Amino acid sequence: MAFAWKAAGLTYNRYLAVAARVVRRSLKDDKRLAAEKRGEMDLRFAKWENGKQGENKNLAQANEAAISEQGQQGQ
Amino acid sequence: MSSMRIARAALRARPSALRTFPQRRGYADAVSDKIKLTLALPHQSIYKSTDVVQVNLPAESGEMGVLANHIPSIEQLKPGLVEVVEESGGSKQFFLSGGFAIVQPDSMLSINAVEGYPLEDFSPEAVRSQIAEAQKIASGNGSQQDIAEAQIELEVLESLQSALK
Repeated sequence: MAFAWKAAGLTYNRYLAVAARVVRRSLKDDKRLAAEKRGEMDLRFAKWENGKQGENKNLAQANEAAISEQGQQGQ
Repeated sequence: MSSMRIARAALRARPSALRTFPQRRGYADAVSDKIKLTLALPHQSIYKSTDVVQVNLPAESGEMGVLANHIPSIEQLKPGLVEVVEESGGSKQFFLSGGFAIVQPDSMLSINAVEGYPLEDFSPEAVRSQIAEAQKIASGNGSQQDIAEAQIELEVLESLQSALK
């Protein structure tokens, strides 16, 4: 089966995250506030080379960049 | 092929052999027409090995109903409504954001999803306003990735809206 999101370079994981986010946003206010906390993510990573720590990067931003790069390659 | 047939005949012969031991009960008379449902989210289990009569699933391959002794299969779920017909006769409806349903050989059904809520927990106004927003992004000239994500949101929201009607 051909999925449009796949052609745009999105992973299944990303697809699920987007679908879950929009479900959380559609809830009634009281449930939504509790649920939206689950969608928050703030992870950072750094690459170590020759015993030295590299630049600290935001994981979400790095993932977005990788996805859009993959989408362009697919074209 | 012939060895398969022998194996099947052996399988069929087994229940009658069990019947000679009255203290041992075969699977068939212990749980006859119920399916054990586990509906799990990362943060909560809605059902935990609960006996239910039937589960209707929105699989990518089409809507399907699962009863006891269903053929084993793995189905990818679309964002949509899962209906659970409980033992008491009532049915409950949950909207799941998409995941997988696994029918196991021994009348067990495991459903995994990221988010799932009973239908009454959703706000029709929030759905309507998000559809307008997602449509704007999907038809706009953002990046290919933004458009793809807006289309996913539209798919979920439209499914949710038709479920709420």
